[in-house]
Amino acid sequence: MSINKVMSLDDAMARVTPGTRLMMGEFVGHGEPAACIEWLIAHNVGDLTLITNTPGLRGASPMVGLFGAGLVRELIGTHGGTSAEASDAYLSGKMKIAQFFPMGTWAEKVRAGGVGLGGVLVPVGVGILDAEGLFPDLGTPKRTIELNGQSYFVEEALRAEVSIIKGWRADRLGNIEFRYTSTQNQRDLAMAGRYTIAEVNEIVEVGDIPPERVGCPGPFVNAVVQGYSLAEQHARGRELMIKLGRLPPLSDEEDS
Amino acid sequence: MDARHIIARRCALELRDGEVVNLGIGIPTLAGNYLPPGLSVILHTENGAFGYGPKPSTLGADSDMSNASGEPITMPPGAAIMDLATSLGAARNGYISTTVLGGLEVDQEGTLANWASRRNGRWWPGIGGAMDLCYGVPRVIAALQHIDKHGHSKVRKRTELPPTGRRCVKVIVTDKAVFDVTPGGLVLREAYPGLAVEDIRAITEADFTVADNFGPMPV
Repeated sequence: MSINKVMSLDDAMARVTPGTRLMMGEFVGHGEPAACIEWLIAHNVGDLTLITNTPGLRGASPMVGLFGAGLVRELIGTHGGTSAEASDAYLSGKMKIAQFFPMGTWAEKVRAGGVGLGGVLVPVGVGILDAEGLFPDLGTPKRTIELNGQSYFVEEALRAEVSIIKGWRADRLGNIEFRYTSTQNQRDLAMAGRYTIAEVNEIVEVGDIPPERVGCPGPFVNAVVQGYSLAEQHARGRELMIKLGRLPPLSDEEDS
Repeated sequence: MDARHIIARRCALELRDGEVVNLGIGIPTLAGNYLPPGLSVILHTENGAFGYGPKPSTLGADSDMSNASGEPITMPPGAAIMDLATSLGAARNGYISTTVLGGLEVDQEGTLANWASRRNGRWWPGIGGAMDLCYGVPRVIAALQHIDKHGHSKVRKRTELPPTGRRCVKVIVTDKAVFDVTPGGLVLREAYPGLAVEDIRAITEADFTVADNFGPMPV
């Protein structure tokens, strides 16, 4: 009866050490575990293998700081250019990206890792991504098999030592509720990590999250940490969008 | 009106009432601003939503509502959220009927290249959801400027860049012309007002024939 997964940021993040294979929720700067990322930067935890969809949003999403500070040794994801910091790290040779995955392939590899599969068979990109010389850093060539007259890549499951996801609300059991498009594949990432940390905007009482609104059940989560409040997250998001010219400055809006 | 907006506005006219549409990053996203009055489409975004709405006001922006470019969106009545694997699965498995994608190059076989150019000896910047869309969406509209900044045609005989999808493009919309991609090759359907077929030939590397109903692009 005494399950309580709520802990301090320091206690939870102590699981991430130099060289950790780390998964993280994210989609072009949204749904990032901002407080955990800032902890990694403040503690200069480097040599990370980072499994994440895209490397943040150019300008100022928290994740880009990981690349700016040179903390990521290898990126396993779908894109290398959503932020200048990641592009620079990759193009200068400081960060390895062995290959890019189509987003659906990457998502299924993570899901496979989370649900105990060896991998998945994916038809997308066959005859394109296995072209000779396309990915020179790829150790072994991509494997294909034929099934019912179609060719598929054999895509191995992805797993991590630590997964860090970002949710809206959590209870002490580790049940997580998500909001809108920040749902992403946070639950799959949680399931694919040996130790999973969930950063949330708000920690609530058991029962406050209706069962059908639990997006990631507690058994997939080891630690719950308090991140920025939703109001703070919105304010930071607005500031970033204004800086990037994607939303008008508030003064303009009030004038119009 | 600049080239990007000419393309975006013309792409919007290709959409069909009631269909499920994915608008890619860049020019295609702009097409959402030019939907003809009365046209109702369900917009899909890779990060996990159907039926999303236009950009919010600054004060109304919700940091948990964004599109595949990371731009703020809204969730009007009828919108539906799904997780990432489901969203890309929908793309692979044909649940999205039309996608408008930007391009570095497109060729006369309908092969689209939009994920990689050569930088420092590496292919960059990456794939995102574009390859899943090219694989599974029946109608791919390529939206790109007709010529690049060096004056070269982006509508090629054969692209040498790593493709995003082979023989997947059905319509090519540029700032100068609209082509249909048919089994027999490219067919010029429209040219920007004031441009003749010869003008399009002069700026296009690809071979093409001219449609019987060839006419000026509505602008």
